[in-house]
Order: sequence, then C-alpha cells, then structure tokens
Amino acid sequence: MRTTAARFTAGTPATTIEPKIMRFVAVFAVKLVTVLVAMSAALATVFAQPSVVLAAPPNAPSAGEPSADPATPQFSADALRHFEQRVRPVLARHCGECHGALKQESGLRLDTRNAVLRGADSGPVITLGKPAESSLIAAVRRQGAIKMPPDGPLPPADIQALERWIENGLPWPPGEPAAAASDAQARSEAARRHWAFQPVQRPAVPEVSADRWSRDPLDRFILQSLAAQQLEPSSEAARTALLRRLSFTLTGLPPTLDALADFLGDERPDAVERLVDQLLASPAHGERWARHWMDVARYSDTKGYVFFEDKNYTWAYTYRDYLIEAFNRDVPYDQFLLEQLAADKLTGSRYDGSAEPADPRPLRALGFLTLSPHFMGNNHDIIDDRIDVATRGLLGLTVTCARCHDHKYDPVAQREYYGLYGVFRGSEEPTVPPLDTPAPDTDAYRAFAAELAKRRGALEAFVQRKHQALVDGARSRVAEYLLAAHASRGQPATDDFMLIADPNDLNPAMVARWRIYLEKTARRPDPLWRLWHRLADIPETRFADEAPIAIADELAASPSRPAVNPRLAERFTELRPRTMNEVAAAYAELLRGIDSTWRAAVEAARSDHRAPPGGLEDAAAEQLRRVLYGPDAPPDVPVLLGWGFLTLLPDRASQGEYQKLLKDVESHLISGAGAPPRALALRDSATPFDARVFLRGNPNRLGEPAPRQFLLAVNPRSEPFQEGSGRLEFAREIARASNPLTARVMVNRLWLHHLGAGIVRTPGDFGLRGEPPTHPLLLDYLASEFLRGDWSLKSLHRRLVTSAVFRQASVERPEAIGTDPENRWWWRMNPRRLEFEPFRDAMLAVADSLDRRQGGPSVNLLGDAIVPRRTLYGFIDRLDVPPLLTTFDFPNPAQSSPQRDQTTVPPQALFMMNNGFVHEVAKRVAIHPALAAESSPAARTQRLFELLYGRAATVSEQERVVAFAADPMVNAPWERIAHALLMANEFLFID
Amino acid sequence: MDSSLRIVQPPINLSRRELLSRCGMGVGLMAAAQLLGAEQQASSPNSEGSGLSPARALPLAPRRPHFAARAERVVHLFMNGGPSQVDTFDPKPLLEQYHGKPLPATNLRTERKTGAAMRSPFKFQRYGQSGLEISELFARTAATHADELCVIRSMQADVPNHEPSLMLMNCGEGRQSRPSMGSWVVYGLGSENQNLPGFVAMCPGGYPIVSTQNWRSSFLPGAYQGTYVNSQHTDARQLIANLGNARLSSTDQRRQLDLLQGLNEEHATRRSHAAPLEARLQTFELAYRMQSEAAEAFDFQREPRWLLDDYGPGTHARQLVIARRLLERGVRFVQVWSGAGQPWDNHSDLEKQHRSLSEQWDRPIAAFLADLKQRGLLESTLVLWGGEFGRTPVAELPQLNGRDHNHYGFTCWLAGGGVRGGYAHGATDEFGFRAVDKPVHVHDLHATMLHLLGFHHEQLTYRYAGRDYRLTDVHGRVVPELIA
Repeated sequence: MRTTAARFTAGTPATTIEPKIMRFVAVFAVKLVTVLVAMSAALATVFAQPSVVLAAPPNAPSAGEPSADPATPQFSADALRHFEQRVRPVLARHCGECHGALKQESGLRLDTRNAVLRGADSGPVITLGKPAESSLIAAVRRQGAIKMPPDGPLPPADIQALERWIENGLPWPPGEPAAAASDAQARSEAARRHWAFQPVQRPAVPEVSADRWSRDPLDRFILQSLAAQQLEPSSEAARTALLRRLSFTLTGLPPTLDALADFLGDERPDAVERLVDQLLASPAHGERWARHWMDVARYSDTKGYVFFEDKNYTWAYTYRDYLIEAFNRDVPYDQFLLEQLAADKLTGSRYDGSAEPADPRPLRALGFLTLSPHFMGNNHDIIDDRIDVATRGLLGLTVTCARCHDHKYDPVAQREYYGLYGVFRGSEEPTVPPLDTPAPDTDAYRAFAAELAKRRGALEAFVQRKHQALVDGARSRVAEYLLAAHASRGQPATDDFMLIADPNDLNPAMVARWRIYLEKTARRPDPLWRLWHRLADIPETRFADEAPIAIADELAASPSRPAVNPRLAERFTELRPRTMNEVAAAYAELLRGIDSTWRAAVEAARSDHRAPPGGLEDAAAEQLRRVLYGPDAPPDVPVLLGWGFLTLLPDRASQGEYQKLLKDVESHLISGAGAPPRALALRDSATPFDARVFLRGNPNRLGEPAPRQFLLAVNPRSEPFQEGSGRLEFAREIARASNPLTARVMVNRLWLHHLGAGIVRTPGDFGLRGEPPTHPLLLDYLASEFLRGDWSLKSLHRRLVTSAVFRQASVERPEAIGTDPENRWWWRMNPRRLEFEPFRDAMLAVADSLDRRQGGPSVNLLGDAIVPRRTLYGFIDRLDVPPLLTTFDFPNPAQSSPQRDQTTVPPQALFMMNNGFVHEVAKRVAIHPALAAESSPAARTQRLFELLYGRAATVSEQERVVAFAADPMVNAPWERIAHALLMANEFLFID
Repeated sequence: MDSSLRIVQPPINLSRRELLSRCGMGVGLMAAAQLLGAEQQASSPNSEGSGLSPARALPLAPRRPHFAARAERVVHLFMNGGPSQVDTFDPKPLLEQYHGKPLPATNLRTERKTGAAMRSPFKFQRYGQSGLEISELFARTAATHADELCVIRSMQADVPNHEPSLMLMNCGEGRQSRPSMGSWVVYGLGSENQNLPGFVAMCPGGYPIVSTQNWRSSFLPGAYQGTYVNSQHTDARQLIANLGNARLSSTDQRRQLDLLQGLNEEHATRRSHAAPLEARLQTFELAYRMQSEAAEAFDFQREPRWLLDDYGPGTHARQLVIARRLLERGVRFVQVWSGAGQPWDNHSDLEKQHRSLSEQWDRPIAAFLADLKQRGLLESTLVLWGGEFGRTPVAELPQLNGRDHNHYGFTCWLAGGGVRGGYAHGATDEFGFRAVDKPVHVHDLHATMLHLLGFHHEQLTYRYAGRDYRLTDVHGRVVPELIA
C-alpha cells in the first residue's frame, strides 16, 4: 500500500475511508490505549517520523569506530608539542571518563582527532581555527547551557591551551593508531572469537579407561573432567531418592504411594528408564515444564498499570495452555519457537486480520510476545521488552543493552537493536483478537458477532470523528497554532509527558508538531519561514519599530539566500505589523486562502470524475499548500499514530467518551453472552516499519536508518528481512539449526532444571560477560544431539535424567567439597529445594486434595481455604504480585527470568507455621485413608513417612513421632505431626 | 563478586548443636546471622543466577557499607499526591502581588492547563536560629525542629504525571521495573534485626497509586521487597501476614517445633549438614520469635500515655509511633505514606485540603523527631519528607483555589542522619515554579541518601540481564552542601 494512503487527509474520498479506519483502529489497538503518560515520548517520533523513511546519508559514520582520515594535515613540531604537553593531558584528565572509548556522553568522544571533528550527537563542537565559534570552548568557559567539565571549571591556562589548539587547526600526531579504535577493534575481535558465537561442534565422546560408571555418552564428559580434578563420582542414590527426584523434576509432583510400591517392586534392570518414560508421558510433565517456560516468558494475567483499558489479559491462560500441550506433545523445539514468534505467518494458522485463519490453534502461542507489561503505555518500552524476551530468553544474549548505544561488551550494534525494533514496531495486536477456536456455527454466536460489530463500529466512528476534527482544526486555526508554537519556544519540552487539555483548547500534540515544524524550518534559509524567524527574534518592546526594517531587509533580493515566496512577499510588502499576533494572522490568512483554493480544485476534479490534482500549478501557491498538506505538514497527523493516537483526545470529556466506547467493546468481547475465548495474537501491520536509530535511546533524536535484520554476530551471513515486518524471518533465524545459541541455551536450561545449575551458570547471558561453560564440549555434545534428535525435548529429558551423573547421591563428601565446594565438576547430585509451585502442589497431593484438571482460566488460589488446582493455574497480577509468592522467590513477572533466586527468610517459615492453608493440609494428611487404615502409632508413622517423603521412617524417627503422639499434653497429635513433617526440610529439599 | 559488601560480624565457629541450644535459650538470632552471614563472604548475593549457593541463606544478615556511614537507617515520610512547596517550605511573597493575574514570566506547561498566579493562603514565618521560613501548616515541626531541617527547595523530577514520578522517587526510573530504594538499601546493608522485615512500607487504608510497585524488589531477590502494612489496622497481628496462629497455642507450637527440629536434625546429620538445610532450620526459630517480637514492635499501645499524647491522635501519629519502634529495633528502611490514592493532589480546594492534611501530619512529625532525638536515634536516622513532585504557583482556572502538578521545582526536606540542619538549599524562581539555583534532581537525592548511608552510589550495583544496575541508573551526583 502506498504511504500516502496511510494518512487521513481532508480530501480523502469517503468510499476509501473504511479500510483505513480499520487499520487505524487496529494500529492504535497495538496497545488498546494506555498511552498517556509517556505518550509524547513517542509523539515526537511519530511526528518527526511519518511512515515514510526520511532520506538519510547512506553511509553515516557509526560512532565508536573512527576511520583513518586521509586529509589529516601536517602540523609543525611546535604545534604537536603544544598538543602533547598542554592539551592531551587536559583531555585525558578532565574529559576522558565521559568522552572516551568506554563512554560517549552525548555521542561525543575526544580521544581521536576525527572523533573531535565529528562532534556530538547535536553536531560539531569545534570550528577549526575559531575557538570563539567552537561550542567546546563555550562549554569549558561555562558560557552557555552546557558547562563542562561538570564538577568544576578548568584552570584558565588549560582553557587557553584548548583555544590555541583549535586555532592551530587541531594538531594531532599523524598516523597515530587511535587507542580507542584499537580498543574497539580488540573488543570486536574478542567478541567474534567468543565461544558462544562459534558453530556448535560435535565433539568426540571421550574415552575413559576402566569406566564402569557411565550410562550415557554424556557421562564420559563428566567423568573425564572429574578425573582431571582427581575427583570421584558419588555412588548412585537410593531408589527412593531417585523416584522422588525424577517425579519432581519431570512432573513437579511427589510420587504416589502406588508409584512408590511399583517402583520399589520393579527389579528389572531398566526400571528407571521405564519410570522416566511413564513420567514423561504424564500430563503433569507439560504442567511442570510450562511453568519453567512461563518464567522465561514473564507470564502474567495482567498488563500492569493501565489508564483506560481493562488491566487483565483475559485470555492469557490460552498461552499457558498452549505451553502445557506443546511440552506434552513434544512439539519440536524449532517449531515451538516459530509458533511463539510468528504463528500468524505460518501456513495453516496464517492470520492477517482479513479473515479468521483455517487453524487458529497455534495463534495462542504468540502470547510469548504479546503478554508484555504495558509500561504505562510507552510503546518503546513494550517493544524493548519483546526484543528482550525473544533475545535474552531464546538466545541468552542481552540485546537490549544496545538500546542507547552499541552494546558495551557483546557484538550487538545499536543499529541492530533498532532493526529488531522495526520488526516489532511493524507488528500489531488487533483490537479484536482472533478466535482461539473456530467460530461456532450457531445463532448465539452470530448474535454475539453482530453486537460486537455494532460496538466496534461505534468506537471506530468516534475515533474517526476525533481525528477529522483534529486535522480540520489544525488547518482552520493556523494562526493560533503558530502563536502557541511561537510561545512554546524556549520552554521546556513537554514531549515526555501526558497533558490534559480543555475541550476547545488547542491540541497540545498539534502545538508540538507546529513547534517541531518551525524548528526544522529555522535550520536553513527557508523561503516561507525565514521571515517568520527573523520577526520572531525581535523583542516585543521593539517590535513595532524594528519589524518593518526586518521585513524590508528580508524581502530584498540577495544572491546568498533563496528569495522569499512571492505570495508571502506580496502579503508583507505593505504590512506594518505591531506584534507577532499580526504576523501570525497574516500567515494564517494566506494559508487559509490557499487551503480554499486547493479544496476547490480537489472538489472540481471529483465532480468532473478526474483524478485528484497532484498539487497547485503556481509554484508559490504550491509551496504554501505543502505547509498544510506536504510530507511534514503539521496538520496532517499520520494515521499510523500507533499507540500515540490518544493525542487525538487530550481532554477529559473525550477521554471519558472514548473509555466508555472501548469498555463497551472490551466487556462484550470478554463477557458478552456467547463470547468465545481469543488468542492474544500479533500480526503484521499493513506497512512495515522502517526504523532509525534513536540516539542515546531518545526517540526524539533520530539517527541512521536501521534495516530490519538479524544479529550479525549470531549469523554473519544474514540479509535484511524482506517479508512484511520481518518477524517470520527473525523467527527462522532463531529456530535455525545453525544458530549457535538457540540449542545451547535450551540444552543448558534443561540441565539447569534437572541438575540444579547450568553448564553455563548464567543461563540468561551467553555473552562476553556471562560465565563460560564449565563443560564446553559436553554442552556442544548435548546441543548437537538435540539437533540430531529433531529438536525433541523429551528425548533430551530422557537422556539427562537416566544418566549416571543425574543418578548420583547428593550427600556431601568432605574430601570432594574441599576441592570443589560449588560442585562445578559434578562429583555429586545437587540437593534441590522445591520452588513454590511444586512445594504447594506436593502439599495438595499428600493431602489427597489435588485437582488434576488441566488448563482453563486462571484462578485465585492463595487464600486460606484450599483451592485444589495446581499452582501454575494461579492468577498472576503484575501490578500486585502476591507477597506470598515473592517471599518464596517467585520471579518478577515484569521481565524475563532465566533462573530463580533461592532465599531463606523467616516469612517463609511463618507461612508454614501459621497459614490456614497449611493447617488445612495437615488436617487432611492426618485423615488420609492410607493412615486411617493403620491403628498402631508405629505403622501410622511409617505410612506417613512414605506418603510425605517416599521412604520408611528410621527407628529413631519412629520413636520421636510415637512419643509425640502419646504425649497427653498435645491436642490432635497426628495433625501436629503431619504439620511438622510438612515443615521439615525433607519435604522441601530433594536429595 | 561484589567485594564491596562485607559482613559486620566476624564468623564465629559454633557447632550446630551449640547454635541450636542457644536458639532455645533465645540468644541464637545474631549467632544465626553470623553463621549465615559468614557464608556470604564466600559468595555475595550480587547477581542473578547464583542458584542454590549458601549466599542466599538469610539475605538480611547485616553488612557494612563502602565507607563510614552518617546514617544507619532511613524513614521516608511520603506525602503522596504532591504537597505544594509555596504553601509549606518555599515562601513566595510575590504571588500575593500577582494573585489572579497571569505570571509576568513564562507559565510552564504542566499536566493541566493553568492560568493566573495563586497566592498562598497560609502565613509564613521565620523559625529557630537558622530563621528558616516555614508556613503555618507545619508550625509545630518548625517551632521545635527548624534548625534540624535541611530543606531542599530546588528539587526536580522529570514529568508532571503521578505514576512515573512516584516510580522515579521510589525506584529511580519512571516506567521500567527497577528495585525500590528501600530494597537497594536493605540489599546493601542487610538488617539489624532478623526478627523483623528489613523494609516496611506503611500505607493506611490501601495502596497508593501504582500500588506495590512503589516498594518492589524487582530483579533483586524477593527478600528485599518492602513488607506492606495497612496501618489502618490497630491490631498488631493484622499487620503482618501469618504472624499469629489462632489454632495453636504458643506452647503447642513450641512442642511442635521441637519435634520438627529433631526431625530436621536427623535429616541433616544424614547429609553432612549442608548449609541451606541449616539456614532453613534456623528460620523456623527466627519465625517463632518473630511472632512475639514483631507483634510487640507493631503494638503502639505499649508506649506510655504521655508519649502517645505528644504524637496526638490519628493514623499518622500511630504510624509514626510504630515507625519509631521499628527503627529502634533495627528495621533498616521504613516508608510512611499519607494514605491510599494520592491525598496531597489538591487540584482544587487546596486551602482546606492542605490544612487538613498538614494538621494530621504536623504534630506527629514534631513528636516523632523529638522522640528520635531524645533516644539518640536522630543522628543516625535519615528522615526524608516529600512527595513525588510539588505544585504550581498558578491555579487551574476558572477556579482560583487549587494547583497543578509541578516537577520543575519542588521541596523535600531531610533531617538527622548527618544532614546539615537549619539550611535551605537551592531556590526556585521568584514564583516558586522552577528550580533555578542549585537544582537537585531526584537522582541526586538518591545519590546523597546512599552517600549518607556509606555507599558510593555508582558502586552499589546488581548485575541483571547483562547490566550492572544501580538506584541512580546512569545519573546522580552527591550534593555535598546537604551534608553536615
């Protein structure tokens, strides 16, 4: 679609509006609204950046890599000596920290000649030979707004030295290899060599002599490294411990009494393998691993703080249920990733908003991207979060560190970050998400859909009306806007905050657009606005006197500047304005006249069935017309306002009306009679988004274009994306077998969850600052096996948990702990503490109270009463994460979490001691049928230990318990005993 | 590894059995802190992904800062909604002259449209030897403590909207999820009392806006988040979750815990006493004691009548009595809010609303400062008073009785904790709109607060998602003039 069609203009024929409205609504629905606070942060972007890419120098120099300048002049020895003795030390001591190789405040670095010449983000800081015109000197002389260095003025002698240096033409020794540049080169060289970016190798399995320990080839990697450390592996864990370990790691649930009896009675040599197959086939497996993935996917049932819209992600659970099903079905991991990043672009589930897809099921996988926090509506933050979850979550790479500058450690350029920004900015959430299951062919559903269409129509009509009013107002109230923009000169920018206006006020966003427009025209002599700026600079008190002189001067012909627009000249020749108001009125009158002419021309063409005119014939008139209709025209608010659309409604009355109409749509979608569940899908916008770098991460300061492309460090051969937003190509790059990170990161996650620590112990950071793998060959071996096994997760699980390393006992051995206290070489199994979910689930299970139903809407389950659902079905509110969960180290759902903390604090103990839920569990355990069947205290004790710990009680344990039960001072002793056993370490820690 | 975090107490070699018996005798708490704290030397909890290291045991063990601290604890009196500086601590007589007229200077744009200047309906006078000018709204505080106040009249924030400004003041960032300052402080210093939360946030009647994000730990471990207390309740046992147990008498619970510890003991013996097992075993003893100690700490009625009379009636008096009791018992960071929602947000009817709010605060604050001082706590306790921003000197027309949000210039004050008393720092312009002299950004306030607590704000960091985060992000300068 042509870009021009992406805008509302006064002349747009009514018949073509409909599809555009749909798009507009769809686009603003990117965030179904929030927007307000930081709205304007994006505003300027929106304004400065229509959906067309502005022309930009194709080879803008990239910061940080100064190139040799062939034109470096020759300097005298004196000049160079002056530089070395008087200037370089000053630069190094006072400027280097913030303007050197490591840090470039405001984009400025002062450690090479080229860098000094290039200047800051804002432009040059030096005028060669002219210290008085150099802003660097103004800054150190503390004459302007920028005062440097920040902690105090330089000694006058140093300032003079800098001035002389500039006068001398910036002497710098020729051919000096810029230290900074070589630093940068060394860094990027190191980055290229970094282990994680090398292709996954397939290492030979080590031969270990006299190996009677290994069960799987992977064990031999462990055994070899143990031998190198002169460590021995531990013996195999007791079968009871093994059963418990396998049950929790594969299903998140304790073994039942029956499972215990079966396993202990199974004397076949492959009893463990059989058990593992059984556990992997259990539906509980998907639940267990879905929860691990939900940490990575920062799953939440709410958006966080919102202004107008509903704060709930009503259908978030469909994503959770997708995960459970995918893990249970063992969907190949590459497919699993493709679906979560781009299900809308895959055959079968293809969805572009025009029709419901043939097979909607995979669309719910897109919750991985869409369930972001809303950051009070700031779209840049939402996109940043999506980049983070996709890169740190799937590649173990901290790409979002490159939001404000090139990544300081890893080879990720800021331009690459904004390439990905473009991918996600060109993807949108539809106002009305697609159905999660095919539409029912019923009258009830048809009635529902008809009502939905009605409410949606009302919302869209309202938005269209408001937009039209804004555009019309911007053209008809030119004088007021010009004056308001004029008045806002020198005022602090209001781009970064939410403004509330009165209904008939000028629209603050439109004022900002006019201000930006005027600022742009001030940068070079402009035939229309040169005169305006000249007059605008005259102080009010002298205005009447000086204005006529200024007008005469500006209208006079001069070879050094373009002539003033003839129509403007004509209007001003005789004018003797006394105030800027009159100047604004004159401009406005002229523009209004042109507007009428133009509208008449468009109307005439329409009634004659001619194509609409491309412009006005008279060049001067056309120049004026373009103020109102040109590519940068302030009134012509682009339709693609995206999430910034609330600029349409800065007044409370409109906001109220909007909120009501939105709520009508939302409430019907969510709870209208016959409302079906929907998938929180994403789809491509009609036009891809061509991003540019935000200098310093500031959306108001645009840098070079950033092509949508994959990370070159990960795939040096990747090409710019071609198709739509590029999201599918991005997904394919991640899911590609040759991607050096994807398989390694996932293998590491499995190892981490099964064994208690990763092979890479920073599972969210495989970059240069992450820890290198303890067993690089093993990691690659497992990754290559994962790929050979067609990305089957269950196969990988099976290998890991049937291995000898996994089967080791977890007991501490003094001689080994001295050598390797952190168990980096795997001389034993790590004892594991259960996370909150399996901990709570285990309590429900032993109380014979676990509801094994799968899926469905999230429920509130943290009250005193027992809600028997598994903990992963609990409702998670980002804005108010239940303190109980946080107390038990539930990760912050604001961000992707690679690994949970494990803290031990008294409130956890208080919960166990005093919470009503735990008491109720203890009560139910005490009356468990298996216990009730036993009459002797000793036999009861045995059953209790089997039920809770999966093993028999020792003699002394039995004695303790029996004595406690017989104590006449204790009320309801078996309840107390069960409670104590639930609180005990053995219930929480897995050997 | 963060070598900047060290342990206060040297490790003491106690056998587990000794430790247990001491716990039974009630002196085991610090011993536990030492035992577990000692392990933190091996591996400080300074980044994500440390897994099941012993470092995560008892994350609240006391730690020493980078250098000698001036303050050991912080109490933040949060006037949420934004109190007006020109009606409290920043007198602007020129507003009288322009009352009802447009300002002769630029009218800065804030959230809503404002028009004419509005004079302060309140009288200012000079107090103390310092002669600080303070309005009648805080007359008692001023009369008794003017010479202890360090009034920053040149505060600045980023935007005039509540939500991001609350986040900025509390977490140093307007939108993204970052730990709150209380979390940072407890992360840095631990807590002096293992029987109480290290960071308590009291807000009567429910949450302020953006709710629990104001005291979240974000990516820091959950142990550092603020414990929310609805200070509307007067029964101490309602204030903290799971503190009481109606089903079980204390003796029954003691018996039960003895059984538990016996079982844990056997369990640990079979496993050569792994540190995480020991740590968890200790928390039950701590929790057992916490039940009585925390209940006692929150029970303001244990104070003598005359002292309660000094604080006066009302919720804030009660909150501040509790705050003092908590600080005295070693709680590191206490935040006391004005109430649910945004009480100080007086767009209209400001005279009546501000008067009513300050009446609820002035007397308790005066008594609170006196109480801290009298106990010798003030000099080591940093008191911070202020909102998320201030208010405009101009009114929202057509009424002339309320003020809009103002982030360009506002006032906070500090007291105790090594700050320079009787001092007004910086200035707003002649109308009180914008900070023009020695502006102090919220980041600078945070940097100064951390400095007073003994931290280089640029070095109190936590690595998360590839970055070393800090409270002041990439900003913040210590303001030396604020320090005595």
